Amino acid sequence: MKEEYVVEMLSVSKSFAEVCAVKDGSFNLKKGEIHSLIGENGAGKSTMMKLLYGMYPIDKGEIFIKGERMLRLNPGIAIEHGIGMVHQEFMLVNELSVLENIILGFEPKKGLKIDFAKAEKEIRKYIELYHLELPLDKKVGQISVGEAQRVEIIKTLMRGAEIIILDEPTAVLTPQETQKLFEIMRNLKKEGKSLVFISHKLNEVMDISDRISVMRQGVFRGSMNKEETSPLELTKHMIGREVFLSGGGKRGVPGEVVLELCDVWVPSAKESSKIRGMSFSLREGEILGLAGIDGNGQSELIEAITGLRRVERGRILLDGIDIANQTPKRIRKLGLSHIPEDRNVRGLNRSMNVLENLLSVEIDQAPYSKGPYLNQRAMERHGEELIRSFDIRPNNCKGPSAALSGGNAQKLVVARELSLKKKVLIAAQPTRGVDIGAIESIRAALEKARREGSGILLVSAELEEILSLSDRIIVIHEGRITGEMPVSDANENNLGLLMMGGGKEERKYERI
Amino acid sequence: MGNSGKIFNLSLIYATFRASAPIIYAALCAAITQQANILNIGTEGIMLVGAFTAVTVSFFTGTWILGVFAAMLSGALISLIMAVGHIKYHSEICAIGMGVNLFAIAISKFLLQAIFKTSGSFSDPGLSVIPRLHFAFLEHVPILGDLWNDCCLTEWLVLFLVLFLEFLFYKTVWGLRLRAVGKFPDAARTAGIPVDTVRYQAMLISGLIGGLAGAHLSLGYSSQFVENMTNNRGFMGVAAMYFGGANPILTSVGCLLFGFSDSVGARLQAYGFPAQFVLMMPYLVTILILSLSLIVKRKTIRRRESALLPAMRTDAGKA
Repeated sequence: MKEEYVVEMLSVSKSFAEVCAVKDGSFNLKKGEIHSLIGENGAGKSTMMKLLYGMYPIDKGEIFIKGERMLRLNPGIAIEHGIGMVHQEFMLVNELSVLENIILGFEPKKGLKIDFAKAEKEIRKYIELYHLELPLDKKVGQISVGEAQRVEIIKTLMRGAEIIILDEPTAVLTPQETQKLFEIMRNLKKEGKSLVFISHKLNEVMDISDRISVMRQGVFRGSMNKEETSPLELTKHMIGREVFLSGGGKRGVPGEVVLELCDVWVPSAKESSKIRGMSFSLREGEILGLAGIDGNGQSELIEAITGLRRVERGRILLDGIDIANQTPKRIRKLGLSHIPEDRNVRGLNRSMNVLENLLSVEIDQAPYSKGPYLNQRAMERHGEELIRSFDIRPNNCKGPSAALSGGNAQKLVVARELSLKKKVLIAAQPTRGVDIGAIESIRAALEKARREGSGILLVSAELEEILSLSDRIIVIHEGRITGEMPVSDANENNLGLLMMGGGKEERKYERI
Repeated sequence: MGNSGKIFNLSLIYATFRASAPIIYAALCAAITQQANILNIGTEGIMLVGAFTAVTVSFFTGTWILGVFAAMLSGALISLIMAVGHIKYHSEICAIGMGVNLFAIAISKFLLQAIFKTSGSFSDPGLSVIPRLHFAFLEHVPILGDLWNDCCLTEWLVLFLVLFLEFLFYKTVWGLRLRAVGKFPDAARTAGIPVDTVRYQAMLISGLIGGLAGAHLSLGYSSQFVENMTNNRGFMGVAAMYFGGANPILTSVGCLLFGFSDSVGARLQAYGFPAQFVLMMPYLVTILILSLSLIVKRKTIRRRESALLPAMRTDAGKA
């Protein structure tokens, strides 16, 4: 144990059930540095840090915090030792105010009452010191994602954190908001805090880090100083081979308009995600990318088109027929298929088996059923064919869908929706949270559907995905379209600006 | 003025309050657990057990104070059993609650037979009941004197309890934690709050209040025990709690509506309205209130969520 480290983890292992999440992992953190932990989805980066935060007990290995060996660790003990963690999912109560959320758990008291005045004074000190602008009186449900993240950062600081773990904090931010976060991180570092930054975005890591550690498939691949490495070297460590993610495939000439939105208005619980007068059209044989920060109306728009949410005004024409406020079943029948953004909530029924999930949208049609009776043989034949052509593993029709990995579960959804060969496909976050192999095959499947003439509306939080697949891109901000361009004119910078609401905010993010 | 003058007069205000007080107790019993996101459908049963315990203990000890305390303890005991089942063993709270309700009817009936050798009801001139407060200075104040003199002690107490819970929920550390536990337990847990402990505490206090509700019903509101004497007041309390969104003051307003319909009903009966209709009134009002509050809630949500309305406002602002 060297004195210079505030945290040291030595050959730590952790398994969940039979799956080994972290194998022989090591990690250390110096005082006042920003140390990035990178790796693909599922490489074990988050697990590694959750072990440090005491959310799960370790199976093997040693953890030292400020030189003290931790024999027992839980979040309470971790907090006592000055560790704070900003989780990917915010741990905030929407119905309470920002102030109430920050003080929750260690409220200052005056007699029997909570001393709100004192709490506010204390919080303002941190806001000024680290430039964390925040509306304290607003309910958390009404603030932006970037602001909610700052609430989480203040929470850790108020609890006396010296070591702050940020778990994929930029996944939900625009490039501009990311720069604001980096500014805050640099301020924290200047005040002597030590930071762990978990990410899989190399440009960000190269921008902010002092040191970088790489993990792959639960195995620790080594740490290096930023100056001594390059994005290329990091990629090789992360993936183990060179990857070519599709894109630039042959693009046909788009045909007739198959989906057209005319001045569509859609309600939402959140102000920033109400759709206010949106119009656009989608042609056959075209991928239209919809770029935007999460929570700017993407979900609402998808739900409105697919019949899951009320449309207040306007028309949605599917092949010339108005489908606004029709039932999802009728809309599907008229020629629309839908890869929902959350496979666990809407994409799959996890308590049913693979075959049942593969056929769930056509089970009432011939040849799979006749009257009240199911034709098991026809179902199985179709199911096996889909499993084979989309390489879903394990290749067992009767297997429980709950046992599928994220990537295979998503492939199941994609297989079901693409096999319908409908005129219009709504693909919402089709590759979110899946491994790189599945990303490649899902993207290839989407491109194949385009070649066969489907019009695809692709909604994705990954700009890289939008840029590499789309023919045309529209950008939305707070429920309105802020820009539209062919993909040849688009890049991360101009899209990022439009995602923030247009060219209003000329900022210093040019160095990305 | 005719009949309507006889029905709607000053004493109706006291009658309304008198009829509401037991329901308010029940509603508060449900409100505190609702803040922790536990639907205490067992309010009815807790109250009935409390009512029986109060009469029994008061009868044998001769002091109403002991009766009230025993009732509160019995309520707490039942709510803790429910809490263990729900929090520790994760069973469905509605099932446990309905079980408690059925159990309460049966056990009170059985013990009435076993202890007092009677059935239907039990009363005794020697029963020590909760005193009524008489203020000499109020005697000569015209309206207030009529209204507020000679109220039962527990009727005063319920007013303080409403204000106390309002303070507890929204101004104290425990209240903030309770609300956080109810709305998003994971957030509370990561903030270091012992979520289950807070839930147990909420259930415990709920049981104490529920027992007190029963004691008030048998020793304050009346001076006897009658089989199934809660007569759905617990359920009405739960309905009012929904109406008020578990906020103590709004919840009490809902209870006053029930009390009002109950007392108006009683008066209408004197003027020849069919008894069946009068008996129906509180329940009709329950359905009406719940439907209305849901319609209003739906409307406000629709308005708040609408994409059109704020835009129209800005348009109007520009014009």
